[in-house]
Amino acid sequence: MTEQEDRYSRQVLFAPIGDEGQSKLANGAVCIVGMGALGTVLASHMVRAGVGRVRLIDRDYVESSNLQRQMLYDEDDAAQSLPKVVASENKLKKINSDVTLEKVFADVTPGNAESLLKGMDLVLDGTDNFQTRFLLNDACYSAGIPFIYGGAVGSRGMSAVFVPGSTPCLRCLIPSADSGGETCDTVGVISPVVDIVASYQSVEALKWLVGDRESRRETLLSFDVWNNRLHELKPVPAKPDCPCCGLKTYPALRREEETLLSLCGRESIQIAGHAPFDLAIWAEKLAPATRTVKANPYLIRAELAEGGRLVLFEDGRVLVQGTDDPVRARSLYARYIGN
Amino acid sequence: MAELTINGSRKELDADTLADVVELLGLGGRPVVAEVNGEVVASEKWAETQVESGMKIELVHFVGGG
Repeated sequence: MTEQEDRYSRQVLFAPIGDEGQSKLANGAVCIVGMGALGTVLASHMVRAGVGRVRLIDRDYVESSNLQRQMLYDEDDAAQSLPKVVASENKLKKINSDVTLEKVFADVTPGNAESLLKGMDLVLDGTDNFQTRFLLNDACYSAGIPFIYGGAVGSRGMSAVFVPGSTPCLRCLIPSADSGGETCDTVGVISPVVDIVASYQSVEALKWLVGDRESRRETLLSFDVWNNRLHELKPVPAKPDCPCCGLKTYPALRREEETLLSLCGRESIQIAGHAPFDLAIWAEKLAPATRTVKANPYLIRAELAEGGRLVLFEDGRVLVQGTDDPVRARSLYARYIGN
Repeated sequence: MAELTINGSRKELDADTLADVVELLGLGGRPVVAEVNGEVVASEKWAETQVESGMKIELVHFVGGG
């Protein structure tokens, strides 16, 4: 038995996968958007299972508050403020060097969503907000790519499979992207529930990639692991007037002006729209106004003498941290970065 | 008063319609899918869906973290 055959032997013995399924996995291409708690579990499953190409997309860097649940990262990654996609790639290539990993350190926007998803067989949801999910929902239905939703908060989790042409889309179920203020940054989250959600998503991904359409879960799964509840919602019919799968106007993709300012977790506001930064030059520029400047090849973290922190990314994005107030964020941005 | 089973727990609510139930539970305007006695009811029909004692209601509040 070659090392390759040995690696996947237990999975190949599982009859619904077998040798044929394994070679389909090797020819598969999966995109994981968001490399937080869901994304790291999704990536681990996809890479260990031998999916041929795995594209990892994330805009953020590793912080110590991630380590409780984001299973691919360690204390060194947080100390170095490594981008999550870089830290993930470092771990994943040691887990399975046969897999082609494509890391993208960027925000998914209406302007780049379609090109980022091009050539992918599946899109797996690792995002932490509905705005991005609606964008992925629209981009996937426009391109005919299945989208596997997952979400978690507190001890509650959900998952569903959305397949263009055969199931309703996320918009058919929930018309608005307002989460009602419940996020992992406001009400917290425990690690097991995210692992369970991502594992359910991963099972559906494997079924899809090996071509087992009959076994696809058709219900929307919802559970609370702390309060011992599990509910399966029967499939609902697609809405004929759904702007995505009914009318095919894909509103999130057609949004003319991109959202330049977005909330990004607790006390963290992202401002996009700047030209790419030359990080070495900006580290020097910011030095006089800052207590400390920490830099790595991907970003600069500047602790401002007046309080607050600016994180500059090579692609032109800036995170203003230490405030939840967009006005204060804009003002710090204007003062240190310019308009 | 309607005696309802909501997400597995018995609750007495001063509600006439499904829309009232959603409001009383603080879920108005949130991303919620409602199921009454095993059948999904579209949000446009919540205001005209009468609730009565003994109904089993499942309110699935979509979660966005990840």
